[in-house]
Amino acid sequence: MVAVVRSGQSRSTLHDMSSHGERVERVWEVFRQEDEGDPMIHSGNVNAPDEELAIHYAREFYGRRGESHRLWIVPRESVLELDDPDLLKPPLDRSHKKPGGYIIKHKLEAAKARAGEGST
Amino acid sequence: MTVATDEIPLDQPARDALAELLLTVADDEFVIGFWDSEWTGIAPMLEEDVATSSIAQDEIGHARALYEVLATLTDDDADRIAFGRDMDGYRHAAMLNHARGDWAFSVARRWLYETADAVRLTALARSTHEPLAQLAGKMRREETYHRMHADAWLRRLADGPPDVQARFAESLAALWPDAQEVFAPLAGDEELQRHGLLPEPMRALHATWQAEVRPVLAPIVGDLPTIAPTTDGRTRRTGDFRWLHGQFTLVSGSEVGATW
Repeated sequence: MVAVVRSGQSRSTLHDMSSHGERVERVWEVFRQEDEGDPMIHSGNVNAPDEELAIHYAREFYGRRGESHRLWIVPRESVLELDDPDLLKPPLDRSHKKPGGYIIKHKLEAAKARAGEGST
Repeated sequence: MTVATDEIPLDQPARDALAELLLTVADDEFVIGFWDSEWTGIAPMLEEDVATSSIAQDEIGHARALYEVLATLTDDDADRIAFGRDMDGYRHAAMLNHARGDWAFSVARRWLYETADAVRLTALARSTHEPLAQLAGKMRREETYHRMHADAWLRRLADGPPDVQARFAESLAALWPDAQEVFAPLAGDEELQRHGLLPEPMRALHATWQAEVRPVLAPIVGDLPTIAPTTDGRTRRTGDFRWLHGQFTLVSGSEVGATW
């Protein structure tokens, strides 16, 4: 079964036109990074007819107050979406894939104690 | 901001010339900021509404910083200079006398103004008046984005459907004579040169700007006439500006001297 869906068409050109010659607005997903090294976090999206204005509008919505170190601006149709519950939330018991059954507390304390002895 | 590097204090004629220069640049930024803020809520799309409003706010911010440099020089108050003059006291270029018009008109004016302002800021960043040189350097960084935004819209309208192209070309042609007045001669031009306060005369900046914009405009609007800036290019006023002046002094005039 194919669970990965790519919607929409190919990447943008400077002037996107419909078959009637009208400008077409597209949705661009915006991710921002607050400081160098921070994760890129999805902030929202903007409508814009082309890459150039998408960058301007992303800057105005998510960076005009100096709150961003870096933005990623991605055409929505370039996002690969996976939301198939058979892959993400399978019905059988998954507890053996989680670390919950493995009590690490005592091992950690023992390791700390050993390290403490070694250093004194 | 710390001390100016001027070792010899400026004499009165030089201070007057510098004050005039500061007032012209500040008033340009102030007035275009108010005109463009007239698009808030009614720009072509929501995203552009935010962008235009944000750029208009930037211009008001530049005006404020310039009024503060001026207020320090003349021992005045930035708010008083900005809002406390009658309409004949403003020194913005004639291009900024006109109401915002339609979107094509506002884009045409922003592009003509941003290109002229960029030439002027490059010169101001080399001024011997250190507070002005530092401020111009910072303003240039913000104006880079304004310029990109204006360029993007210039291309969109110039490459748009025939009616869009026609309206845009009409606006550019209509604004062209008054656009020259950004470089209108100043009474203190010679003083400014003598002290390096403005490192190049206005006529040289005008020539630089012409050489830059004519090749871009020719394919859009054809050959534009050669028009020299005039001595009253910063003192002519219109009914449109009378209305705007009434708008932006409405709150400050309702309770003179109030603070909040």
